[in-house]
Amino acid sequence: MASVHESLYFNPMLTNGVVHANVFGVRDWVTPHKMALLVLLSELGRAGPQLGLLERRRLNRLLLPLLQGPDMALSRLRKAIEECCPQLAGSVHIRLKLMAEGELKDMEQFFDDLSDSFSGTEPEVHKTSVVAAPDSPCSQQAFPSPGLFLRHMILAYNKLSFSQVYKLYTALQQYFQKDEKKDGADENEMELTNPEELDGKMEKEELDGPLRVFLTREEEIACSGPLSQKQAEYFLSQQASLLKNDETKALAPASLQKELNNLLKFNPDFAEAHYLSYLNSLRVQDVFSSTHSLLHYFDRLILTGAESKSNGDEGYGRSLRYAALNLAALHCRFGHYQQAELALQEAIRIAQESNDHVCLQHCLSWLYILEQKIFDSCVLLEHSVNKSLHFGLPYLASLGIQSLVQQRAFAGKAANKLMDALKDSDLLHWKHSLSELIDISIAQKTAIWRLYGRSTMALQQAQTLLSMNSLEAVNVGVQQNNTESFAVVLCHLAELHAEQGYFAAASEILKHLKERFPPNSQHAQLWMLFDQKIQFERAMNDGRYHVADSLVAGITALNSIEGVYRKAIVLKAQNQMSEAHKLLQKLLIHCQKIKNTEMVIRVLLSIAELYWRSSCHTIALPVLLQALALAREYSLQYLASETVLNLAFSQLILGIPEQALNILHMAIEPVLAHGAVLDKGCAMFLVAKCQVASAASYTPQKKIEALESAILNLNEAKTYFAKVDCKEQLRDILYFQARLFHTLGKTQERNKCAMLFRQLHQDLPAHGVPLINAFK
Amino acid sequence: MAAAAMVVTAAGGGDFSDLREIKKQLLNVAERSRERGLQHSGKWAAELAFALEPLPLNELPPPPELTEEDARDLDAYTLAKSYFDLKEYDRAAYFLQGCKSQKAYFLYMYSRYLSGEKKKDDETVDSLGPLEKGQVKNEALRELRVELSKKHKAQELDGFGLYLYGVVLRKLDLVKEAIDVFVEAAHVLPLHWGAWLELCNLITDKEMLKFLSLPDTWMKEFFLAHIYTELQLIEEALQKYQSLIDAGFSKSTYIISQIAVAYHNIRDIDKALSIFNELRKQDPYRIENMDTFSNLLYVRSMKPELSYLAHNLCEIDKYRVETCCVIGNYYSLRSQHEKAALYFQRALKLNPRYLGAWTLMGHEYMEMKNTSAAIQAYRHAIEVNKRDYRAWYGLGQTYEILKMPFYCLYYYRRAHQLRPNDSRMLVALGECYEKLNQLVEAKKCYWRAYAVGDVEKMALVKLAKLHEQLNESEQAAQCYIKYIQDIYSCGEVVEHLEVSTAFRYLAQYYFKCKLWDEASACAQKCCAFNDTREEGKALLRQILQLRNQGETSSTDVAAPFFLPASLSANNTPTRRVSPLNLSSVTP
Repeated sequence: MASVHESLYFNPMLTNGVVHANVFGVRDWVTPHKMALLVLLSELGRAGPQLGLLERRRLNRLLLPLLQGPDMALSRLRKAIEECCPQLAGSVHIRLKLMAEGELKDMEQFFDDLSDSFSGTEPEVHKTSVVAAPDSPCSQQAFPSPGLFLRHMILAYNKLSFSQVYKLYTALQQYFQKDEKKDGADENEMELTNPEELDGKMEKEELDGPLRVFLTREEEIACSGPLSQKQAEYFLSQQASLLKNDETKALAPASLQKELNNLLKFNPDFAEAHYLSYLNSLRVQDVFSSTHSLLHYFDRLILTGAESKSNGDEGYGRSLRYAALNLAALHCRFGHYQQAELALQEAIRIAQESNDHVCLQHCLSWLYILEQKIFDSCVLLEHSVNKSLHFGLPYLASLGIQSLVQQRAFAGKAANKLMDALKDSDLLHWKHSLSELIDISIAQKTAIWRLYGRSTMALQQAQTLLSMNSLEAVNVGVQQNNTESFAVVLCHLAELHAEQGYFAAASEILKHLKERFPPNSQHAQLWMLFDQKIQFERAMNDGRYHVADSLVAGITALNSIEGVYRKAIVLKAQNQMSEAHKLLQKLLIHCQKIKNTEMVIRVLLSIAELYWRSSCHTIALPVLLQALALAREYSLQYLASETVLNLAFSQLILGIPEQALNILHMAIEPVLAHGAVLDKGCAMFLVAKCQVASAASYTPQKKIEALESAILNLNEAKTYFAKVDCKEQLRDILYFQARLFHTLGKTQERNKCAMLFRQLHQDLPAHGVPLINAFK
Repeated sequence: MAAAAMVVTAAGGGDFSDLREIKKQLLNVAERSRERGLQHSGKWAAELAFALEPLPLNELPPPPELTEEDARDLDAYTLAKSYFDLKEYDRAAYFLQGCKSQKAYFLYMYSRYLSGEKKKDDETVDSLGPLEKGQVKNEALRELRVELSKKHKAQELDGFGLYLYGVVLRKLDLVKEAIDVFVEAAHVLPLHWGAWLELCNLITDKEMLKFLSLPDTWMKEFFLAHIYTELQLIEEALQKYQSLIDAGFSKSTYIISQIAVAYHNIRDIDKALSIFNELRKQDPYRIENMDTFSNLLYVRSMKPELSYLAHNLCEIDKYRVETCCVIGNYYSLRSQHEKAALYFQRALKLNPRYLGAWTLMGHEYMEMKNTSAAIQAYRHAIEVNKRDYRAWYGLGQTYEILKMPFYCLYYYRRAHQLRPNDSRMLVALGECYEKLNQLVEAKKCYWRAYAVGDVEKMALVKLAKLHEQLNESEQAAQCYIKYIQDIYSCGEVVEHLEVSTAFRYLAQYYFKCKLWDEASACAQKCCAFNDTREEGKALLRQILQLRNQGETSSTDVAAPFFLPASLSANNTPTRRVSPLNLSSVTP
């Protein structure tokens, strides 16, 4: 089940991945790199009409990241332009060369000409102006057009003092000379690295625009120099949104931190960098530095907030509240629940004092998350949902609904109502286009269907989410790739495949998960758990109990309850009944206490199995009935049918096969429809056994019919078991079939089965339990 | 070179038996520092030399001998030195080009370095954008480093040259290399105080100090004393200084001022004040360290003295950081906080790296209830020096005022980490925990605060009240008893408000325990205070009544009432306490 929410509760400081940067006096200034861009723009304006459509488009796509990105070396810039339009690159280079190798007056002349381009009747600028591609992720806080960039630069240039102008000119000369010097050496190196880069670029350009090209660049030039205000903001917002949506594409934690430190060294007032550093520290689970960065951010924010608002009080108090709230979130993230509660109390108190209902709602949601760790708090949640709707906070409201549904599902509320609620919240999402929540909602549906044991529905939902993503990318441009919902869905998908015996597919999915969520990332634990569970199941099927036993430790580390349960199963399989029983009893009490019904039923089933293995079927019966009642109450259909199978088996052994057949008819359908291959096999095997047992009292004619249909059923079971490679069960079936054929007098078939049985029997160790008595 | 060799060989051993020799060395190095334009080191040596007995004429050190090379460079050197003194560094460097003698070479490099620094400062005002500000670099540094490292490899650098090399390395943030070079410089020329001082700035903890191999000279004692003060190892520092004074430097104003600062750091205000007063008498026009002095006067609220100091300093030089700071303190004491903040700002304009002013400015903004500005100021202080516990403490206080007790815990913890034995942080932490209703933690903090020596004497009362809240009357009574003992043993004249509360509680406690003698004694004490008089009397009457009902009273008052033998014997707090283990996470 998706334990999605705690990391996703809305963070007010980070809307849509954009860190809202504060406004400084000077936002941008002229650097040699920007002058090169200016030259490029003016050349573009001049050569505009002659350029081909394709070249134009490529250039336009290149321009935006260039205008916003950090400064880069001239050689690199030239390369980038050359890829789009070689002739333009040449003319840009020549003009720069003239300027750099000329005199100061050339530069002055250049800027004069630039400002003239605005004053003409038909300004040149308009010809060059590019409409920012709407799907490009940088359009969030972009220069609307190069025209604005030109204006900015001209203004910045005009502001320069005498000595600064000269400094700029010398900087330009150095910039150019560095390129000249490097040219010879660089050419070779570039040549070497280029081919693959080029291929990549071609397809990347088609895929998601110049951003990708740009990213690789950015990694290379990390820490090269100071960024201007604009560039820094762009860098921060880009990295933040990558961290949120697709962590693997963001800079590695260490290099991002380095970059941020660099940024902060040049401008300690750039508070947002502290926030990003906080997020970055969270990535590597560093409590100390993340706390430090978070508090530092808010210390800084408090001052800027006070400055920007004229009355001072509002913005300032607001950030105080959110500071406390964020601190609570941080502590919660690291599992310091008591600390988190204290911080939250503080946030709530301040918010109450200043009548900030929005903040209070956030607090309430967090309170729910915290309380959840201690006891069920549906009341709180319902209240939160109502209030959030009232204050027009759709995000919080539907997060609340989702949490509520999750809790109700565990509490065994009617499925139709839950689905209704989810549908309602889906309406809300689509209305407000909260794509993230849509993902979560689908992931949750997958999980709920799985809980109910409807694997086909779960499969369908999982596929929906996975294929919906590609639709999304076209529309919004924010590709959410490594959110928790994806992890959840993919994990379920892997398990579903494994259940059906498609182990190759499952391991393929897991491999993909590993790539998408590297082991140290936030949601990696999910797939680690599923991976081990699948391996465990396989090992159990193959009868390699020692392997399964070694996996138990890993599972326990990730989920202690699951671990204990698996340990008990291994013990049971190794015929250490009393130990297994002790463990299961303990687990049962614990699970009943924490109301983990699913696990309770599974434990009950295991206990029942222990009983009938020790031939105490009469004791097993009430346990099974209890399990059945629970499963029905919580509408955990799959567990219910499994219980019925167990029940039927007990009845069979107790000598009432007709009764067993009756109730088997009830269970067989859901098992065949939704069950794992192994369970299907077991069910069919059981049916066959019951048929044989009940045939004893039939007339000879009828008996033969019954036996033949039993053989057919056994054949079906055999194919199921063959899929998951369960040799022991296969052996049992073959033995059984051989006996049946013998009864029917079909010697040839009997001999064939017997031979197969013999082959298998030689491979396998003898089973501890008499053959006919085993149900699983 | 010859002179240098002589000095080096003479400066052996950590003993101070031959003060005349030391004086000779000091005079010599002062002269040589001055020749090279290293004024601060020269000043330091001269000051120290002044503290020693004057030498007779025949023992005066001869002027440093000139070598062949020196003679060759003499003209260029003389010209360049005069340009250098006029702060025309580029010009000086130009005329010194190609000089071979050590002295001229040093001056050549040094003027290039200073020229770069000067240009850097000028450019900071005039850079292209705000983000570039941090990036303005001393362009000369790289070249200097290359040249100096060549010379260093060839072992052609003398003590001063090594010092300059170290400075260049430090400016390039090559701390490790810089430390090595400074240590080497100290070995080659132990008398040069500048190298030691740079070393002080680079060493951040005691562990680092342990692993340095320092030359075994008498200068090392000064260095150790200085660095102990920096590292807040005050007791060791005071010991060192005392032994220096005993060795014959009793008149040195430098040592006196350092001792005063050390006392200031451990909050021994009276001693610090008296030493500063002494210092002012000996050196009335001194401006250094006067900011510390003014802090002390401020803490003691000695308005007239502070006013006198401020006016006096203002007369001497009003454009010194210390002067601005003193004036700021003066205004602050007069509750003119805007003006105070203004003066602290001025101090920062004069020297942006003067971190004390940031913290003090924060305090002023706090007084003005401008919390956001205060936070900003404190944050600046922390940026300059992460180890500034006052700024952390100030931040904590700010958030406490904003009623965010949990939030401020972090800041107080930081302050506490930096000053583990300062009771104020502990009390503040305790108060926060109390507000958060984490009484166990609060108790730990208060007890610890008491154990490390409570400055404000409030920890015990607070602890007692906590016990009272938790109905642990036994412990509460013990705390009150200890509190009263503490107050009386100090002989404090200041009226403590909580004394009456303590007596009242004790009276009631003994009353409940039916210890009539103690109860009545405490009740009588209660009568001495206004707020508890009535209660005391009422209690006395009750006691009398109950006694009459019971047996005949035995009215011998043996032990002092507040020192019941059973309680006073044990439970004296040991000063050594186990590390504070607060259950919460302490990032």
